[in-house]
Amino acid sequence: MDETVAEFIKRTILKIPMTEMMTILKAWDFLPENQLQTVNFRQRKESLVQDLVLLCENKRASLRDAALLDIIYTQFHRHQKVWDVFQMSKEPGEDVDLFDMEQFKSSFEKILRRALKNVTVSFRDAEENAVWIRIAWGTQYRKPNQYKPVFVVYYSQTPYAFTSFCHLKSNTPLLSQALTVASNHHKIVKMDLRSRYLDSLKAIVFKQYNQLETKFKSDFHGGILAERKEPLRCLIKFSSPHLLEALKSLAPAGIADAPLSPLLTCIPNKGMNYFKIRDK
Amino acid sequence: MEWANDKSKGGVLAHLERLETQMSRSCKNLEDPPRETAESDLGTKIRKLRCLRDKLRAEVKQRQARIKASTANAEPDQTLEISEQEAVGGKEENMKAILQAYRFTGINLFASGLSGKRTSRGVCVCISTAFEGNLLDSYFVDLVIQKPLRIHHHSVPVFIPLEEISAKYLQTNIQHFLFCLCEYLNAYAGRKYQADQLQRDFAAFLAGPLQRNSLCNLLSFTYKVEPQSRSFPFCARLLYKDLTTTLPTDVTITYQGTDASSTSWEEQRASHENLFFTKPLHQVFTSFARNGERLDMSLVS
Repeated sequence: MDETVAEFIKRTILKIPMTEMMTILKAWDFLPENQLQTVNFRQRKESLVQDLVLLCENKRASLRDAALLDIIYTQFHRHQKVWDVFQMSKEPGEDVDLFDMEQFKSSFEKILRRALKNVTVSFRDAEENAVWIRIAWGTQYRKPNQYKPVFVVYYSQTPYAFTSFCHLKSNTPLLSQALTVASNHHKIVKMDLRSRYLDSLKAIVFKQYNQLETKFKSDFHGGILAERKEPLRCLIKFSSPHLLEALKSLAPAGIADAPLSPLLTCIPNKGMNYFKIRDK
Repeated sequence: MEWANDKSKGGVLAHLERLETQMSRSCKNLEDPPRETAESDLGTKIRKLRCLRDKLRAEVKQRQARIKASTANAEPDQTLEISEQEAVGGKEENMKAILQAYRFTGINLFASGLSGKRTSRGVCVCISTAFEGNLLDSYFVDLVIQKPLRIHHHSVPVFIPLEEISAKYLQTNIQHFLFCLCEYLNAYAGRKYQADQLQRDFAAFLAGPLQRNSLCNLLSFTYKVEPQSRSFPFCARLLYKDLTTTLPTDVTITYQGTDASSTSWEEQRASHENLFFTKPLHQVFTSFARNGERLDMSLVS
């Protein structure tokens, strides 16, 4: 096994918290169950990692296997990345989109390789007909840097792609092109939408709402809020799986004055949560 | 989203009467147009509103009777709420759209899986999907009755071409918009059901996972027809170019076994193609399984 690959695997496994070690290794499915059972998971982490890397060496883990482990680690720790959203569009009157995942992957990789000799591209299928893509960028003369990869999450037959923040801005046009062409789109723009939480971004751009209707009734007679001489001063913290929706529904429910600040209401409609405030 | 039940206001009828008084009061304050024209304009408006009020009265009575008959928990005083903006705005088309919307929610469209209820803003339509008598997912579209008509919220999956369908029909023909959306959603649900059934019940016949996409309009898999066989000699590629159907528009079956020269393989391949064109996916495999059993029985006896 290449030294760089061994080092890469070692550093990736070191990042994994002990509580998640077994789960992630099982999801990786590179080291078989019976082999994992021979390892002592109660020893110090450094020693554990050494044992695991040795097993990987014996099994001749490749860069491909290591990249897959990196994807799985990131899937478990997606909140550690900041995600941007790209929106793609087609020409009007296009034919029905017959999206073929294998064609997409092959097309995507081909486009990158045509432009950049040194690039590592890896894929992992995910639920809901989505795919996680990992790209490690190199240059004409340097091998790909495996420690600064970009991740892309794409749900098939949708116009949106979620990408993890990339330091190397110079590769963004190439990435955009690969995404657009491989998914049968024509144009791509970056949205003013950014978050650590993929699920929130999904909820906003896919515009899907669950029809949750709950009526809250409380008996105010004799409660702390009833018949006070002075107003009650307190700090209220709102938290909810759909906080924006909840806030928006306050006005129609007659609990709050309308209209709500447009900064709150425009987030789902315009798909923006990133506002630039400039001097006049 | 509830029936407006504001007893303190006395319901829509009292509301309309208040609007009438408001109109006649405000016409005294009009400066620009000559008093006579202003009066006659408002007079026409008042007449039209009265006519509408009578229509609504009749429909409310009808609706009440129907609801009383069907639901035990019906609130006794069901009334429509029309926002002041819509009524006073004087937009005839708005009122027509409201009535139109109300009419189709009143019509029994349960056969096509459509049902609706009035909301404070307009109508919330629920589309239930089904395939082969199995009730599948439901989706809703919350319409705001405004000019232009718009969709406030919905739970339609992002890969269903809702924008396209809205652009074509929403403003001109709400019913067609809904039927069209219904078609797409039912077809999607049907295709998804077939793919799920195949993966769940016939995994033993497939080599590797079923390749699919969000719309379930491209399916690709390698399969066998004899349960005991160790090889998977057939490759299937099904395309559903018509998103309103649950049967494929293109079927390609290739034989990838070693015995390529034998005519029986070619016959099988051709017959499979025909099967996939005409029968739902899981039914095709049910018949494969049944034939396999028959083969078993003949060997035993």
